[in-house]
Amino acid sequence: MELTICHLYPDVLNLYGDRGNILCLRRRLEWRGIEVTVTEKPIGSERSLGNCDLIFIGGGQDFEQETLLADLHQGKDAELCAAINDGVAVLAICGGYQMLGNYYETYDGHRCDFIGAIDLCTIGSAVRMIGNYMFRCDAESGGAVVVGFENHSGKTRLGEGVKPLGRVIAGYGNNGEDGTEGVRWKNVFGTYSHGPLLPKNPGLCDNILLTALIRKYGHATLDPLDDTAENRAHDEMAARLTKTG
Amino acid sequence: MSLRTIAAVILCKILCLAARILHRGGTAMPGRWALKLCPDLAGTLARNVSILVITGTNGKTTSARIAEQAFADAGLDYLANRSGANLLSGITTEFCRNSTLTGRCKKHYAVIECDEAAARKALGYLKPKAVLVTNLFRDQLDRYGEVTHTLENIREGLKNTPDAVLCLNADCSLTSSLALELPNRAVYYGLERSAADPDTRPAVLSDATHCIRCKTEYIYDYVTYGHLGGFRCPRCGYARHDAQVAVTRIQELGADSSTVELRAGEEERTVRVNLPAVYNIYNAAGVITALGEMGLDLDRAVNAVGSFHCGFGRMEKFALGQQGARVMLVKNPAGCDQVLRFLAALSGDLELAVLLNDNDADGTDISWIWDAEFEALCALGTRLRRVYVSGKRASDLFIRLKYAGVAPERIILEQDYAALTDRLGEAEVPVFIMPTYTALLEFRPQLLRRCGGADFWEG
Ligand SMILES: [Zn+2]
Repeated sequence: MELTICHLYPDVLNLYGDRGNILCLRRRLEWRGIEVTVTEKPIGSERSLGNCDLIFIGGGQDFEQETLLADLHQGKDAELCAAINDGVAVLAICGGYQMLGNYYETYDGHRCDFIGAIDLCTIGSAVRMIGNYMFRCDAESGGAVVVGFENHSGKTRLGEGVKPLGRVIAGYGNNGEDGTEGVRWKNVFGTYSHGPLLPKNPGLCDNILLTALIRKYGHATLDPLDDTAENRAHDEMAARLTKTG
Repeated sequence: MSLRTIAAVILCKILCLAARILHRGGTAMPGRWALKLCPDLAGTLARNVSILVITGTNGKTTSARIAEQAFADAGLDYLANRSGANLLSGITTEFCRNSTLTGRCKKHYAVIECDEAAARKALGYLKPKAVLVTNLFRDQLDRYGEVTHTLENIREGLKNTPDAVLCLNADCSLTSSLALELPNRAVYYGLERSAADPDTRPAVLSDATHCIRCKTEYIYDYVTYGHLGGFRCPRCGYARHDAQVAVTRIQELGADSSTVELRAGEEERTVRVNLPAVYNIYNAAGVITALGEMGLDLDRAVNAVGSFHCGFGRMEKFALGQQGARVMLVKNPAGCDQVLRFLAALSGDLELAVLLNDNDADGTDISWIWDAEFEALCALGTRLRRVYVSGKRASDLFIRLKYAGVAPERIILEQDYAALTDRLGEAEVPVFIMPTYTALLEFRPQLLRRCGGADFWEG
């Protein structure tokens, strides 16, 4: 088996250690003897998304978002929508997650149109939702308890019939109000959990890999790995959040 | 002098005394209370003092210590704040300590290390003679927000002090952009192409890939580290400014020091930098530039660079283990990368301990450890005997190293500092310790107890 991962906009969407997620996806395939190729698609790249099995989109800085939107609206938006509708697995984080929705409206009313691949939108708020947090994935996304770090001022609302990735146990999640976190749409996994999300959450990582492999090969299984170290980091943070939450 | 000022100075002095009697190290607290009484106290006390402010992401403390050395050598009376007190509160404390009860500062010079976020307010109060901005890198994002916000903080602060000379890192496109919209006179320092390693590429995770003015991707003629180097924008023409103080060649990069050739205006010198690694060459060039603007003689500055001792976690040495230990504070990915690169270039075997905390002063978000190139350690192979991971987030470090490709059997989780000191004390090879800020504060007393030495607050 082999898998091709496309890292979209690694040049601008790379805030908060997002690279750790690519590294985790890569290593957990390599350790199982599955071949993996990571291709980068920076701003200005003409390379097609056509034959990749998994797309990763990270978070970015406000300053760079304008640069990015200009590039996105030159055809990559349609290409990304087509890939999502075609069932390509996507992991989108923070700014990358918001970008898949309809729009972002800043706190002072300025509106940025995004690609509209998923019916969700984000409204800026005056408060920053920041800190370690924890949520439980819905059953269809594997049911794992995920610990992560969120840092966003945008409040995301899901459209009708759009399911979240999970339910918040501690922290804010999508908007700090309705208890939802992230989105699960077709094979898209969207979340506010930035940076080293996957290394500490091997269950979620494997679920995403499996989703991509099953789409490609019809059926697939993943050999178990020794996750002692990963689970220790996970459990320590979960215990801390249970105590304080 | 208003009564309010006098009351604030007295309050601050009393609180300093109380803190000393109670053996509390904190130097920010007295100033914080004094500022409540008199918000512009630092400005009032600093009126007749010739001040050098040092700000920027990395290298503030080292640069400040070099500057202090030069002032001391020159026999000038100066005051200086310490790294733990680089917010307006700590700066105010320092000025109060050195003032008469009527608010007259007893010193003629000051070397002030200033936190980037605090620069916004502090610069306008202090009205410094020169401001050295070392560099701007992605730091603790949960505290400062984005790197462009940090830049904005400094720019806003500088707007209130148009007479200050800016000493800017020419190789940092973010830092040198400060001169674009400000009336201040600017002098630049940096490394020339002839001093750069021709094989260095921009960091995988550059903090400044696109032009700060027009957002076009930069072209680099050479890179020294991170996003530093000979950058130019192909569209709007924003480019590296010629450096008046330029490192033209690196003669030697040793494990303890570096030797470089430096040109300052018309003059040339061979300079020994009394700390290893390229980032300390930048610190040296920056502070030589700033000292020149403060009116010190070039040779005085060059001597200080060759003789200063920094201590407190900046390549600080301890007699631990058979071959000694060095402590190297890490705060953010750019600084961490520099330390990792330094380690990867060493020739012998070594043991390493990395201590990661996530307290407020460290940054509560530890995502940055995934931006730092721990992969560089793989170049050491089996020469990296062991890596201990410790601190509150030790288990996160463990997996970072595992995914970086360090053999898991070489990674040891030891969260008990006393036990960690014991184990490092048994090392037969040189030991290197990389703590985050609060881990340094916690672990350093262990080292002092074991090895002897002066405590920070007394030293
Ligand atoms: Zn430009």
